[in-house]
Amino acid sequence: MEITIYHYLSIGLILFIIGLVGSIISKNVIKVLISIEFMLTGVNINFVTFAAYCGNDKFDGFIMALFYVGIGAVELAVALYIFYLMFQKKETDCIEKYSEL
Amino acid sequence: MISNPIVFYIASFIIISFAFIAVFLKNIIYSLLSAIMVFFAASIFFYVLGSEYNAIIQAAIYGLAVPVIIGISIMFTTGNEKQKQGFTLPYVTILSGAIFILAFVYIIMISLVMIPNSFHFMNLQQFNSYDVISEFARGIFIDYVWAFELLSLLLTIIIAGFTVFRRRGG
Repeated sequence: MEITIYHYLSIGLILFIIGLVGSIISKNVIKVLISIEFMLTGVNINFVTFAAYCGNDKFDGFIMALFYVGIGAVELAVALYIFYLMFQKKETDCIEKYSEL
Repeated sequence: MISNPIVFYIASFIIISFAFIAVFLKNIIYSLLSAIMVFFAASIFFYVLGSEYNAIIQAAIYGLAVPVIIGISIMFTTGNEKQKQGFTLPYVTILSGAIFILAFVYIIMISLVMIPNSFHFMNLQQFNSYDVISEFARGIFIDYVWAFELLSLLLTIIIAGFTVFRRRGG
């Protein structure tokens, strides 16, 4: 059975949905961050898939995916720092206690 | 591009199953380890799709660097003092072991990039590895140099911001 573009896109979509569900239902802040990273990875899979299947002479899609990885790492660093500051005040990692910044 | 169904289905199974485990498992360390597996499986996808450079970056940043940062955050913040005495050492051991194993995988992938013609895997690869790296360099430093500089500026601002906040005692 041949693997088509839709196979890869469906995997990206499934990973995005798992991340979305995880970020909504998780109580732990770190687990929410991990779920958001899943969503970013799902989007990244879509980027690379479209780049690979839809004419990629100049590697544009691959380079965009590269930037996206960098932005994702930056976002995680900022989020973890905010979490660290909040943890010092609240002394818990339950997201329900973080309703007020 | 390698259009091998076996590789695709194995990587898909790893991604979906470990993503579910990471989201629904209560233990945050096991959740993190499952997340590492998901990120490495995503790098397998990138490799299969013909983007070796993205696979390396994904394995390096999401497979190694990000889990280390999250693991350190977990060690600093999880549990009370009694729990920390009992659980910190196993957590450190598990996390360190997993990171070392994945680092070996990363080194193997890096060596595959560096060896000329190593990516002519079963004659299904589209590009020579030198062509891939030169095309990436041209894209980053010529075609998308503004995006690259903006990302660098963003990283610099964040590092400076962290330093300023720490000096103020935030």
